[in-house]
Formats: sequence, structure tokens, C-alpha cells
Amino acid sequence: MRRVSTGIRRPTTWLAVAVLAVLVVLVALPLQGLVAATLQPDSVGSWTDVLASPLSGNLFWEPLRNSLIVGLGTGLVASLLGGFLAWVVVMSDIPGRRIIGVLATIPFALPSFAIALAWESVFRNDRLGGNPGVLASLGIAVPDILSWGVVPITLTLVAHYYSLSFVVVAAALSNVGGDLVAAAELTGASRLRIALRISLPVVAPAILSGFLLAFAEGVSNFAVPALLGLPVRFQTLSTRLYGSISTGDTERGYVLSILLVVIAALVLWVGNRFTAGKSFATITGKSSRPRRVTTGRWKWVLFTLSAALVTATTIVPGIVLATSTLLRRTNSFDAGLTLHYWIGESDPNIAQGMRGVLRDPIALDALLSTVSLGISVALGATLIGLLSAYVVTRLKRARAVTGSISLLSYVPFLIPGIAFGAAFIAQFGAPIGPFPSLYGTFAILVVAGIAASLPFAFQTSRSALGQAAGDLEEAAVIAGAGTARRLRSIVFPLASRGVVSGGILVFVTMVRDLSLVVLLVTPATPLLSVMTYRYASEGFTQSANAITLVIAIVSVAATLLARRLQGTNQSWSNA
Amino acid sequence: MPRRPLPTPLRYTLTVAAAFPLLIGLAACSAPAEAEETVDYSALSHDELVELATEEGEVSVYAFTSRIATVEEAFEAEYPGIDVVATDISSTELITRLASENQAGSATADVAYVSDAPVVVTELLAEGVLEQYLPPRMADVLPEEYQTPLVANRLSTKVLMYNEEAYPDGSPVSNLWELTDAEWAGKVVLVDPNVRGDYLDLVTEMSLRADEMAAAYEEHFGAEIELSDGVEDAGLQFISDLYNNDAVLVDDTDTVNAAIGALGQDAPPVGFTSYSDRRDNEDEGWALQVASGVAPSPGIVFPAMLGITAGAENPAAARLLIDFMMGDDTETGGPGFEPFYVAGDYPTRTDVVAPADALALDELGGWIIDAEASAERRDVVADFLLTIQ
Repeated sequence: MRRVSTGIRRPTTWLAVAVLAVLVVLVALPLQGLVAATLQPDSVGSWTDVLASPLSGNLFWEPLRNSLIVGLGTGLVASLLGGFLAWVVVMSDIPGRRIIGVLATIPFALPSFAIALAWESVFRNDRLGGNPGVLASLGIAVPDILSWGVVPITLTLVAHYYSLSFVVVAAALSNVGGDLVAAAELTGASRLRIALRISLPVVAPAILSGFLLAFAEGVSNFAVPALLGLPVRFQTLSTRLYGSISTGDTERGYVLSILLVVIAALVLWVGNRFTAGKSFATITGKSSRPRRVTTGRWKWVLFTLSAALVTATTIVPGIVLATSTLLRRTNSFDAGLTLHYWIGESDPNIAQGMRGVLRDPIALDALLSTVSLGISVALGATLIGLLSAYVVTRLKRARAVTGSISLLSYVPFLIPGIAFGAAFIAQFGAPIGPFPSLYGTFAILVVAGIAASLPFAFQTSRSALGQAAGDLEEAAVIAGAGTARRLRSIVFPLASRGVVSGGILVFVTMVRDLSLVVLLVTPATPLLSVMTYRYASEGFTQSANAITLVIAIVSVAATLLARRLQGTNQSWSNA
Repeated sequence: MPRRPLPTPLRYTLTVAAAFPLLIGLAACSAPAEAEETVDYSALSHDELVELATEEGEVSVYAFTSRIATVEEAFEAEYPGIDVVATDISSTELITRLASENQAGSATADVAYVSDAPVVVTELLAEGVLEQYLPPRMADVLPEEYQTPLVANRLSTKVLMYNEEAYPDGSPVSNLWELTDAEWAGKVVLVDPNVRGDYLDLVTEMSLRADEMAAAYEEHFGAEIELSDGVEDAGLQFISDLYNNDAVLVDDTDTVNAAIGALGQDAPPVGFTSYSDRRDNEDEGWALQVASGVAPSPGIVFPAMLGITAGAENPAAARLLIDFMMGDDTETGGPGFEPFYVAGDYPTRTDVVAPADALALDELGGWIIDAEASAERRDVVADFLLTIQ
């Protein structure tokens, strides 16, 4: 047996080296650049400014507390809701679970500000002036705590990111063999007991992955805390970080983002302790189909809860976003509806003569290059994420290596896009040896995109691989299969469900995210996210939202298409 | 490869990153230093410049506004042989991108059209990333303060505005210090100056104009100002009192506009925003109007600047584009200036008539910022703001 595991380990060691090398170039170097920038003689003072000066309270400690509350709140509630929905969709027998399963993946494809806007349109009070929300216009006094600050921020982020948990956990749950559940039923275990003692533990790594993703997204999101927090001076590390960089105090912003990375590393370490040393292998040589739980009289309660959740987080924000593109006046019904912002010819009386977005000559180009970028990045990131996850799950003993890989694959969220972009210009801006400079090409966008979206690919792959038992691979080693063969014939197929889910998340992030690529794009590769920025920066909200809606539609279409391509083994979407 | 000393942290970072062994080849293989620049572009006639620019055939520009697309069309119509490659990104990103590209020695823009003047001064001009180019024909028509450190083609504002539907008799405020009275508690909206550079410039200017702020205080309260502990001057005292009066901070200028401007409000707030956004009143259902005549000043006026990158690949076309964007000799500046000819923004040229439908610059009474003085002061102000949250 020892020879068998050595047979798996040795090539894996080489794979580990290769994976680490890639992660060093993509993540560690930009990170190291960030650290170096703050240690320079005239910027090292930023550390004391942030950590131990009269400013620290408002610059770091208070925002840190707020970020932790928001991040942990987002992570926990999102895991709870996402896990619950995943269970309902995969394991229960409630009606309409298939459509609920599709709707639950959409919030992540919607921009977080659309969900924040939906919240505002209901709960906005008179703190700011302007047009009040629905409740306030009905004469109901909405307290600040519901309109602004920690509650709406956390709930908005939950509404946006619970779909991460849902996607990861649903993929894992559909790998829970019916034999386990059947065995438990034979011994007379109650349904609740089965859910808590079998279904929940076997998807623990997936829940953890979902939590880690939601936490990192929660603490790094800028738009939502800025929109809903600033009016009551609720500052988070992300608003402070963004503010420092945009007011020209770059080093201070970098210090904050390094501290954010450290905090994330701690959360990652604590999270991993929960699952360390346990085996979650449920995909074995003798697989059996998942088995549904009969919910009986709870059926309609579960249905109502699930339907309400996806309605509030998908349908309502979707309608808000779609409607906002049709309003003649920004966020107001006063002047009626119009299709002008979609298809109108230039009219000097409307939006300073902006024509409809579908008449923008670069719209189609931008759509095509956005989709190709999304696909290229999804493929690249998935491959690297999967290989990293393979190394981490198979080389459990080499803690330093797996620890570095886990960390490097987790933190790209937390490095500000602008710093990432600057580092990429430094690394790829000039020719490297005999190779021409990648700068200004499509390739550098792909490389940067892969770096930024690794967390999704890695976390989803790790959760999927954690379920694949080692015995299949060991059998293959005995049969004489090499590493590449084993990866291709056993590991990839077994993990495919989780991995494809991860690929979709990567695609969705890539098509809507701007912050990283904005430093690297050239007019030769127009992107939809850049168009959104262009419209938004001149105050053409409707046009910006129209492009955002296009992005959301592309994302949803990609999600559905990927599910279809996965075919019949996707039990929960074909139920 | 000879490297220019690059003291800012960003550049240091990039040096360190570029020093990684993987990239050692870069130093060995990079192109030899460019040939000495021999052409004195300022001595060329316009036609000679056009000829050289047409030979180059292309010019790349980074701009902080999407209106650059209109400039591109107009320029290409005027000079058909020269292709404009325009990239629009935010000022912050533009500054970082130029600095990074300069350090990496990679392809970069020829021209930058940039706001955030104080940051440009410290991050780009001090490092020699951007250089000034004054088109010769501008020497007489552009006031000296708009010639350096870079030429400015127009001015924008961040000034106190109110809702003219709710206050039809004019500004409800005649002195900035009224905003610190109980009457305006929770009713002053501005973008958090710790989040946006132009609002930080506004507060910095109040600090730089502390004497005027002190005089206005005395005018309003009838007593000499007493500074609180840890407050250095009357400008900072004002912002401190404003924060204590529950000023509402938001994330974005459009949020300010909608809050103060929306029609149908009984007691709308006032706030600091761009005068030129008034042009969207009809479109958006706002009633924004500037609080002109407020003492000591309704706010700031700041430049949008044009610079040429060090070692620009298309030096002649770059100069021609800057020349074009400074406008022609008609009253409105012609097609090169047209996208920026907007009521509430101001042309810098003395011979271009400011658009009608807005107060003249001297009637507005805004403080015109001095980018260099502002650059020196704004860090202290930003830190102060952090302590009074």
C-alpha cells in the first residue's frame, strides 16, 4: 500500500511545484509588491498611521470591527440560506425545486448595487432627502437602522452572495450517495437526524468553501457599504481602503489591504481547522444515486420559504434593474417609461444626446470580447484551481506547501484591483527575454483574470475533490495509470459537478468585474464592464444599468448552458 | 539599463517586482535608450507640426472623461491622416497606470487628460512621468495660472447648491457657517472627502483660506472664532462643526444631486456638488441651483489638465492633440472644445466666451485651487478628517 501512495505522491510533488510557481507569479508577486511599497522609507509611516496613531481608531480599528461584523454576518447567513436552499433543491421533494435551483444561482450574476438599490427603493427614509422609499411614502417611519448601516449592508450582501454557498453545497449534496441515507433510514433515524448527522457533515467542506467565499466577498465589497453605510458614517475596511487610494494616499490603502489579507488568512486557518483530519469522501467505487427526503406536511412551508427567498433576491432586484433602464428619469417614475436608453437615436434633449446602448457601435464587439474573456478565464482558472486543489487534497502532510497554495488561492479578492493591475504592468509591461511584451494584448487580460478569480475555482474544486475517495486513484495506480491519465479519467470526471459550478462562478465574475482589468484594457479590446463604467461616470445611469442587465443576462445564459452541457448526471437540475 | 531614480513607493514596488529573477532578461534585452530628442516642437509652425504628426499617424490618449470619444471624432475629421486611440478611465486609475507604465518601460499613452490636479503634481509631475506642453498660440490667451504645472483647458466646480423649487427666493444660505447651525442639522449632503479627491480638495481649500473662513465666522456669529483643541485653523473648524452638525456623507455626486435636487420636497437639504450638473435638471427632474454669493465662497473651481508623457512615442501628434483640445479661435472654442463647452464649467482661455445659462466665473465667486499648494496641504487635512468622523 505504501508503494501505491508513493506512486500518487511523487508526480504530485512535481505538480505541486508547478502549481506553486504559477501562484507565485500570479498572486505572490503582486502581493509582495504591495508589501514592498509600504516598507519603503517614506511610506513605512503608513503602518504606524494605520495601527498606532490618533487616526487608527477611525482609519482601522472601527472599520475593522465593522468589516468583521459584515463579513462574518454575510458568511454565516449566506451559508445558512445557501445551504438550506441547496438541501431543499437537491434532497427534498418540494414542488418547483428545479426552477428554485435555477433562480438561486442568479443573485451572484446581478450586480450588488442592484440589490442595494432594491433595498433602498423599499426602506429608504428621509435621512438623505430626495425621493423616499416605498414604506416612507406610505407614511411609515423607517428607523435609520433599517435604512442605513450594518443591517441593510449585511442583508444586501447576503442576498448577493448566498448563491455562492448554494452553488457549492448543491454540487456537493448531489454527490451524497443514497446508500448512506438509506442505511440511516433502515436504522430508524428521523428525517431531521439524517439531515443533521449525514447530509450536513458530508457537505461540511462545501459549506466551509461557500462561507470562505462569501466572507471574502463580503469584506472586499465596496459598492454596498459605500451606498448604504456612508450616510450614517458606517465605514468598513473596504471603504477606507478605496478612499485612501482614490484620494492619493496609496500606501495607506495598501497597508489596509495587507491587513485584510492577514485577517482573511486567519479566517481561512480557523475554517480549515474545522475540517482538518476528517475524511469527507462520499464518492467511492460503489456509487449510488442520491435519494430524496419526503418532507410530508412540511412541504409547503419549505416551498414558501424557498420561493420567498429567491423572489426577494432574484426576481425583485432583477425587476428593479430592468425597470431602471426604462425610466425616462433616473430612479423616478415621474417622467414615465421609455425604450430610448436601449434603442433610441441620439436626441439632444435626452441624456446629453447619448444614443441607446444597442446603437453603440462598440456594443457588439464588447459583448463578443467579454464572452471570450469570460470563457478563456473560466477555463484557465478552473484548470489551475483544480490542480491546486488536487495537490492540496492529496499532499495533506506537506503543510507548508498546501498552506501556501490554499492561502495564495484565497487572497486575490483582497488585493485591490488597481494594485493588481499595477503589478501586472510591472511584470508583463516589457518584453521578457525573447518573448514580446504581453502588455496591451488580450492575453494579459486573461492572465490577470485568472489570477483574480482563482478563489472561486480553487474553493469549488477543493470541495468537490474532498468528496472523491482516494481508493479509486489507488486502484488506477495499481493498474499502471500515470498521473495525467488518472487526472483525466478519474479525478476530473468525479469532481466535474463542483468544478463546472466553479467555472461558472469564474465566468460570471469575469464578465461583470471591472476593477482588475481596467488598468490593462485597451480600446482594441472593448469590454461590457468598461462600457458600464463609461456610462456611469458621466451620470447616464439608465445606459449603465442597461449594459449591466446585458451582463446579467449573459451570465444567466452561461449558467443555464453549462448546466445543460453537464447533462443527465446533474440530478438536481433534471429532477 | 539606466533607471531614473523613482522615489515614490509605487515605483519602488514595481522595481522590486521587476527585479524578480524571472524578469532579469528584461534588463538585458530592453531597447537602447531613445535617440536624443532634437526637434524643438515649440518652434515649429502649425503646418510643420501637422506634417510631422501625420507622419506618425497615430496618437494615444488616456482621459478621465468619456467625452474624449467626441474629441476623437472631431480630431480625426480635422486631421484625417491621424488616428486617435482614446482610453477613458477614472483619474485615480489613469494616474496609477501612467506611473506603472512609465516604470515598466512599456507602451503608454502620448497624452493624458486628467483631473485630480494635486495628485498629478505629487505622483506624476514630481517623477517626470508627465510633462507640460504649452501650444505656442496659447501663450497670450491662456492666463499664467492655467499654463503650469500643466495646461488646463477647462475648469469644473464643487460648490454649494440648493433646491430652487423649494427655495424660489434664492439661496437659503448666505454664509457657509449657517450650515453649522441647528437649523441645518442633518441637512447638508456631501461626498465623503475621505473617499473622493475633489471633495478633499474642497475641504483643503477651506483650510488654505482659513482667514476668509474666520472673517465669515465673525460676520455670522458676531464674535471672533475660537478654535477647538487640536483644530489648526478656521477652515478645519468649519468642517469639524459641520460634521458635528450631522452632515450626511454619501459615496457619489449623483447621490448628492438627487438628494438636494429632487422635485417635490418640502425641506430639501443643501449640498456640495458640480455646478454643471444643473444642466441635467430638466432631464432628471431636479431643481439644482448654485448658492452664489454665499460668504466667503460657495466652493472650489479646479482644472482639467492636459500633459504629454515623457518620451511619448508620437511627440508631434501628441502636441497636435493638446493644441486641438485647447480649442480654436471662435467664441465657443470650436469642435476640439465642444464636448467641454458646458454651462457650469468654464473655459480657461480668455478669448473663449463662457457658455450662457450659467453665472460668469467671477460672479460665481468660487475659490480657484492652486494644485501645488493643495498638494502640500491635503494630507494633513485628510488626516484631520479621519479624527473627526
